[in-house]
Amino acid sequence: MIGGKIAFASGMLLALAGGWIAFPRILYRTRPQPVDFSHKIHAEKAGAKCEDCHAFRDDGTYAGIPTLDRCTSCHAAAMGATAEEKSFIDNYVTPNREPQWLSYARQPENVYFSHVAHVKLGKVKCERCHGNEGGSANLRPFQVDPISGYSRDIWGRPVNRIALRNEGGMKMDDCVDCHRRQGLEYSCLGCHK
Amino acid sequence: MTTTRRNLFKFVGGGAMGALLTPAPWRLITDTALWSENWPGIPRPARGEITTRFTHCTLCPAGCAVRARCVAGQPVSLTGVNPHPISRGALCPWGIAGHQLPYHPARVRQGPMREAIAAIERAIRKRSAGERVAVLDLRPGRTVSWTYRRAMAALDGGLYVTPPQSAYAIDLAAAKTVVSFGAPLFDGWGTPGNVFAARTNFRLIQVEPVESRSAALADIWLPIRPGTEAVIALALAGEIAVAEAARVTGVDEKTLGAAKEAMAGGPVLALAADPASPLMNWNAKLGALGHTVVARRESPVPDTWKKAAPATQMAAATDGTIRVLLIDESLPGGYIPWSEIAPKLAPDAVVVAFTSSSEGYARHAQCALPTAVYPETAEDVGPAIDTVAAVFRISTPLIAAVVPVVNPGQFVSRIAGLPPSDALRERADVIHKAGSGMLIGYADGKSTPVKAVTADDFWKTLNQGGCWMDSTGKQTLPGKLEFTASAEPAQDELPLTVVATEPRRGGLESTLLSKLERESNLRLSADRVALSPVDARAGGIENGARCVFETARGRLSVAAMIDAAVPVGVVEVAGGPRVADLCGANGRARVVRA
Repeated sequence: MIGGKIAFASGMLLALAGGWIAFPRILYRTRPQPVDFSHKIHAEKAGAKCEDCHAFRDDGTYAGIPTLDRCTSCHAAAMGATAEEKSFIDNYVTPNREPQWLSYARQPENVYFSHVAHVKLGKVKCERCHGNEGGSANLRPFQVDPISGYSRDIWGRPVNRIALRNEGGMKMDDCVDCHRRQGLEYSCLGCHK
Repeated sequence: MTTTRRNLFKFVGGGAMGALLTPAPWRLITDTALWSENWPGIPRPARGEITTRFTHCTLCPAGCAVRARCVAGQPVSLTGVNPHPISRGALCPWGIAGHQLPYHPARVRQGPMREAIAAIERAIRKRSAGERVAVLDLRPGRTVSWTYRRAMAALDGGLYVTPPQSAYAIDLAAAKTVVSFGAPLFDGWGTPGNVFAARTNFRLIQVEPVESRSAALADIWLPIRPGTEAVIALALAGEIAVAEAARVTGVDEKTLGAAKEAMAGGPVLALAADPASPLMNWNAKLGALGHTVVARRESPVPDTWKKAAPATQMAAATDGTIRVLLIDESLPGGYIPWSEIAPKLAPDAVVVAFTSSSEGYARHAQCALPTAVYPETAEDVGPAIDTVAAVFRISTPLIAAVVPVVNPGQFVSRIAGLPPSDALRERADVIHKAGSGMLIGYADGKSTPVKAVTADDFWKTLNQGGCWMDSTGKQTLPGKLEFTASAEPAQDELPLTVVATEPRRGGLESTLLSKLERESNLRLSADRVALSPVDARAGGIENGARCVFETARGRLSVAAMIDAAVPVGVVEVAGGPRVADLCGANGRARVVRA
């Protein structure tokens, strides 16, 4: 009788440990970014603001991750003595090769999202969805769920989404929650055009 | 603890219970669903630079201005263009999904081009005196229409044929009361943005047997018995008593009286579902000519084009004389029932249809040659019925044709021996040279006098997002409206009046509308008819039963829907080529169990 309870409890404990500790670790594949970019150095030493590199085009569309020509406007030659900058110059600037950045926030193809509507009209801070990326000294490794193909940032950092408290993740639920809490309109065709 | 079979089961049970209390199974369910959306074979849009391009929709004569959001050069979403003075930023459901049409599964993807040319040339060589070569242009008023006319003038015995056309335009903004005899004012008539912008200024009296969308949005709906429209017109004009008209038409006397009173508020305009309907003649008595019904204006053309063949009606052709018939069905437009065309053909006539859909004339032609579909098309859009000023706008291709296509204008020019030319550019240059009107750019919303731009800049703006619009000026009379009704023999054995409630343009169906039709049943699809419960009961027809829709011209297998909103004695159908071929102008039908 007692042996049966122990067997049941041990099976349960093993599953709980696997589901809560091992599963999140094995779910995501980690890939390094091509360059170890420091937002912090650029913000503090160069005084750069988010929109200096992550700019809006003249027609209001969002340019997203900056391309190499934006970087070379300052880094045509090395400005410091760090190994990261030297590597960047040697591997990308000199051969004029575009870095293949891995986007943490890439939405699936069936989603239309307007940055200009949220940032310029809605006055939403970048950190609201992207976290405090602008203060990071190193780029986080890019983590992707190989089953769904989505970045971990889309789902949200905690695998159970319980700890999010509406402050993380970029799933449809998160968009709807934010719109609902602020009394804004939302409909299928708003994002799935 | 000993390892027994029972304990092993308990261990597994505990594990299953524990697993359910973790995020793992729930997350895997979500992930598996997302994974299934990315299976190989499912098309994925390209990644790339996001750009904005402009064009004009060619899916109907409204020619609404379109802003296309493109990713890596591929249009991914279409919206209207606010600065456009006629379409005013609006697009219909068909236009919104237009960029998906090139990939429509029902698109005609190949055709025997060489065989068609050989057959046409052989027929032209061997035709006897009096036999003719004809082009049937379902969307007249375009620059390519002029090419057809010039080609037919160059050919001995050439004939340029169009569906019945109206020589008038409607100034909806000038009307205070609109009496619509079944015109789908809010469901495909005119330019959607223009109609809804004018809506607040006029009262709408919709005269129609069934409660269409326009009837539902009308100020007054007069639910008449089918075929009694003329009686309503006489009553509203005060030529017969309201009580008598109410008795004949089945409309409530009080409602009819209210409609008559509403007409006292200002300029009245009469509209009919068919622009060449005799009901349009009523506008002369209403004093609408020159005010709300005005002459249709066309943008200038080179003088050398003016020796082109005149536009004629199919009915005017002599029976049995058309040896070669080339049908331009590349854009959805008017449709002439095949029963009106067939008698005009010589016994061994060659019929070639330029089309993207196998639903229309491709069913009757020896050769169906695939054409570009919007937004692959590079041509201008003719004037819409509610465009008062002359306009010139070009539908610039947003993508290259995804299947090998034939250019109907070049094909007909080659048959007629016309030298190759860029007709659009020639016409744009003539408009520019005339120097009147404004050039409206969509990217910046600015209107610039044509005189202030060079010919090259004019052409560039027309191709990159803009339109030319002439000044409205003084309105001119459209000439006499003298339409006559086509005589259709009475068919007593066919008890039901056919009412086409869903205006359909032919061609490929919109992917958006096909969802409304196939999946939600919100709109009547082409293979369904709707009957009143009384008529259904009389025929022993159950809801959803397979039936035969039968007219004097043929039969069609359909599914019957029973709808209490359908009047007794009426069968509602979705319009379109197959139904038009079966019903003609004044359709009578019966529906029997299959």
